[in-house]
Amino acid sequence: MLNDKLGIKKLYALSSEKRKFSFSLPLKHKIKIGKRNYEIKLKTDEKYGTYILWKNRKYPVEVVRSRQNKYEILFNDISYTFSVETPFSLQRMKVLSSSKGKTEQEFVKAPMPGKIIDVLVREGSNVLRGEPVVILEAMKMQNEIQSPVNGKVVKVAAKANNNVMKDDLLVEIKVD
Amino acid sequence: MKIKKILIANRGEIAIRIMKTARLMKISTVAIKTALEPNAMYLSFADEIFDNSEDVSEIPVFLDIEKLIAIALNTGADAVHPGYGFLAENAYFADKCIDNKIIFIGPSPDAIYKMGNKTIARKLAMKNGIPMAMGSEGNISNEEEAVAIASKIGYPVIVKAASGGGGRGMRIIRKAEEMERMFIIASKEAEKAFNDPSVFIEKYIENPKHIEFQILGDTHGNVIHLGERECSIQRKHQKLLEEAPSCALDEKLREVMGKMAVQIAKEVNYHSAGTVEFLLDSDKNFYFMEMNTRIQVEHPVTEIITGIDLIEQQILIANGEKLKYRQEDIKLKGWAIECRINAEDVQSGFAPAPGKIENLSMPSDPYVRIDTGIQSGSVIVANFDSMIAKLIVKGKDRRDAIKNCKMALDKVWIRGTKTTLPFFRLLVRNDKFQNGTFTTAFIENDLDKYYFNSEYEEILAAWLATKLFVEENLKEDSINVDFENGKEMSPWLMNKRVNQF
Repeated sequence: MLNDKLGIKKLYALSSEKRKFSFSLPLKHKIKIGKRNYEIKLKTDEKYGTYILWKNRKYPVEVVRSRQNKYEILFNDISYTFSVETPFSLQRMKVLSSSKGKTEQEFVKAPMPGKIIDVLVREGSNVLRGEPVVILEAMKMQNEIQSPVNGKVVKVAAKANNNVMKDDLLVEIKVD
Repeated sequence: MKIKKILIANRGEIAIRIMKTARLMKISTVAIKTALEPNAMYLSFADEIFDNSEDVSEIPVFLDIEKLIAIALNTGADAVHPGYGFLAENAYFADKCIDNKIIFIGPSPDAIYKMGNKTIARKLAMKNGIPMAMGSEGNISNEEEAVAIASKIGYPVIVKAASGGGGRGMRIIRKAEEMERMFIIASKEAEKAFNDPSVFIEKYIENPKHIEFQILGDTHGNVIHLGERECSIQRKHQKLLEEAPSCALDEKLREVMGKMAVQIAKEVNYHSAGTVEFLLDSDKNFYFMEMNTRIQVEHPVTEIITGIDLIEQQILIANGEKLKYRQEDIKLKGWAIECRINAEDVQSGFAPAPGKIENLSMPSDPYVRIDTGIQSGSVIVANFDSMIAKLIVKGKDRRDAIKNCKMALDKVWIRGTKTTLPFFRLLVRNDKFQNGTFTTAFIENDLDKYYFNSEYEEILAAWLATKLFVEENLKEDSINVDFENGKEMSPWLMNKRVNQF
């Protein structure tokens, strides 16, 4: 098998909150809790769409998007973003992050389509986590789009009075 | 019965709610078909449909007074039910109906006007000795006056639009130096939103509970209350969960507050269903806030604990009949909780998430009532509110109702858009919610995240991501896995959301 040739025995799913889940290959359709294995069934039907059946309960699932090794998954109404890494790529990531230090960029994107009412930061502004950066109007409600991190604004893409689509870049922040 | 045919001047779940009762009363109904929702579920509940879908004007028909009157006259409707929102609290609309000999199912234009104007409402409450937060006597005319009054009352204060309501047009000010600027902003906002720049100032009650009393009055001067609802679970003044009764009230306080609510209703000769809203502070002092002169979104929780159909009462009252209940006939039994399942993304601060509902199924247990105007295939349009359904759950007491609510939440199945379900799943597990000590500041102050997921849900999601990776990158391996699980596999062609607004 290919994974034997490559010598890959494990894969890691890293969540956006830096939690790591490891799965051995070949990937089993089971998850172990305590001593028992619980089977995961993935199904699609007319009535429910695609879902996972686990421990006698159905969970709706949807792949919102995938790009290279990154996957956004909607699972029971909650979005998760994972990057799936092999032991090699994980090792490389560790080396890279330790040599370069933290130079993470945070891209603040429009959570929904709407109109920019106000841009509250400028290039070079320092922002704190939770600080509003843009006011976006959608469905007649004004929404404060907040910075998810502490950092410095390196790019402002949002312009007042412009319409934006979902996931359009608003502000780019260099994480402290 | 004078009323034979009702024009429903509304859409969605409340249109259906009204038509269901009308049908039981053998009154026929007319619903309006619009260009935005030509296939809406509510249309199938009407005896007659007025097709207005050719009309593409900017203003929705439900806000177009002239047009609604014309439709009522054209279809021979002898009464109009406005539902909530839109023109439900528009005195001019009520007046226009009367002018055209159409019965407006709601209070008199005079009562709507007086209670709609917060400054007048405050004066009437004061006249009746109803406790209120300290505040300006009338509207504030300029920023100097605002600063002077605010410092007399003491910060924090809240600036409210005189014509506002439903949580709109309010600003909290904590420091004197913010007052001048915020006053100007609030006044401008009020002018823009309500066509009336007048604002007034009140002492801001920190972390209160929101308690409201359901009122019924007839045209013969009888007014009763049907107990309270607690609506403290709100975000930016928008209610998310309501329950009846409230665990903050005992029999004595209920009687005192209920009497006050009846009194203010009598002051404006109130008839129909209405709601008197109070704030209750941690020392159980209560303060009159406002009166809503319409049927409310959260009316079902009162219906469940009293066994009274409020829409039926509205129709009977509009028909001129006397209330058949006296205050002592009203007995509160059990507990009811309503969760507003909205198309909102709780992971993005409750941002609206319009879209097409691909499939939807709701629990049908005996302890559940679902009020909805959405079915599989419906589209949540950005022009209207984001409500998908109201999940109303009953129990013999609060604990039982929460337990039932928790079960029911796991049985709701909605695909196509993100919803507020994960928030309610968190709420029913929260200690402060369970023990009843939460206030209107709960969502802001007591939660560090807005959704619940079990630890296994994240693991399962991670597994799914890994599975995708395996299939895309390690092909031979995936064939192997596929073979083992044969028919259980699905192709990774999941339904992408079609409608992105």
